[in-house]
Amino acid sequence: MMQERVENGALIFDLDEPLADRPVKDIYLPNAYCSILKRVVSNIFSLREDGGLDLVLATVGKCKCDGMRNIASWLERTTDIPILKVENDNMNGVGFPISRSGLPLLKKMELIVNSVFAPLPEGLTLEECAPKCGFWGVPPYDFAILELFPDETHIFGWTRCMENKTPADIEMECDVDTGVPTVFFTQSFCQKSAFAYNLAREHGGLYVEVDKMMSHSTRAKIEAFLEFNLGWRGKR
Amino acid sequence: MSAPSPILLDCGTGYAKIFNLEDSTRAIVPARRFIKTLSEYDIKASTGHNLSSGAGARVNELVALAEGALSMVDEPDFTVLDFGARDVKYVQIRSRRVAGMDWNTECGAFAGQVVELLTRYFDVEPENLPADAPRIPVVCGVLGMTSMFDMISNGKSHEEALAGFLRGVAFNCETLVGRPDRLYLSGGLCDNKAFVSAFTRETIPLGRFVLIEGLRKIYSENNI
Ligand code: SF4
Repeated sequence: MMQERVENGALIFDLDEPLADRPVKDIYLPNAYCSILKRVVSNIFSLREDGGLDLVLATVGKCKCDGMRNIASWLERTTDIPILKVENDNMNGVGFPISRSGLPLLKKMELIVNSVFAPLPEGLTLEECAPKCGFWGVPPYDFAILELFPDETHIFGWTRCMENKTPADIEMECDVDTGVPTVFFTQSFCQKSAFAYNLAREHGGLYVEVDKMMSHSTRAKIEAFLEFNLGWRGKR
Repeated sequence: MSAPSPILLDCGTGYAKIFNLEDSTRAIVPARRFIKTLSEYDIKASTGHNLSSGAGARVNELVALAEGALSMVDEPDFTVLDFGARDVKYVQIRSRRVAGMDWNTECGAFAGQVVELLTRYFDVEPENLPADAPRIPVVCGVLGMTSMFDMISNGKSHEEALAGFLRGVAFNCETLVGRPDRLYLSGGLCDNKAFVSAFTRETIPLGRFVLIEGLRKIYSENNI
């Protein structure tokens, strides 16, 4: 169905991501709510205002979170925004070479996020590296956090599942390399924080919760964790 | 005009702690005042929230805390908590190495500035706070203060309400650090007897210069 629409000239936007010239309007959801979902809803309304919205594909299954399921139901009940609820329970993985490569962490994250709609760039070679540390979690609202890590950082958690095309694979989501110092990242007000918090305790990792942009304290806390564990003082 | 003094600096949100490398003196000045006199100093190394550039070699606050505590405490295993104006952080040492750390990064409302403001606002002497006041749950600073003012409007004394609030804050700190038997304390509230006695375990104040001691150690070892 998507293929047909694209062939007919439709554009696909990843609503999780910032859209050019469309700042997030923080007026549709309660203050204490996931900033990714605030961005999704703001993107929906601003595309709608411009008359450029034909359909919202809302992922509502185990592959995402209850937040999006509730939002999709709210939009369906109270607006005429066309919503198609979809679930992705695929368990046949395609692998996760980006997550284990030695590319800069920010680059890895961009490639994984972009791979939702676009094939990987031609000629891209992905060499697996031994992990110095780990980043567990969903793609953050503020990618600046990723610049704090060394290139040999492996990606774990839901982002790895995303690359593997198995976003509902909870087993894989909870799997980390024992002994690799890992930062367990969660957006504030995300239900996945229960995983992040307890996995960090189980593996002696660092639990980090961020709402929107990273604060000075969060940055310093991650830098200290990397310095204590790896002697790493950043790329500066 | 005299040459700028070479110093090590811990510039927090409320106060700047200074170690003068020429005469080995220490000073504490309000951060807002210190920032206006920056040109009088040659900052060799710094830590803390409030200076990001032009402040010599930068040392991470948790690294400075760990090094400072290690130079002040002889035990192989211990935990030190730094209770700052806007946040709270700790380092856990095992066999003289950092084994754990954390930093409450989100809610500054239950940090030092609030405790200091409330103590001043109520104009109470720490000695006069009751030792057996029931703890107020401080889910966050704002909700904690709401409960505290509710207690007062329900007839409790200001002293009892404030003591309950401080116990709630201390309880949160103990949860953050994992409830060790003994806790070393760093930061401005080391001088606040009411706060120190609000903890339910042995609490040993190390004073306000722990991060400065860490800077001195790192600087003298040329580690920056
Ligand atoms: S960060 Fe958590 S709450 Fe937000 S969209 Fe992702 S899974 Fe849902």
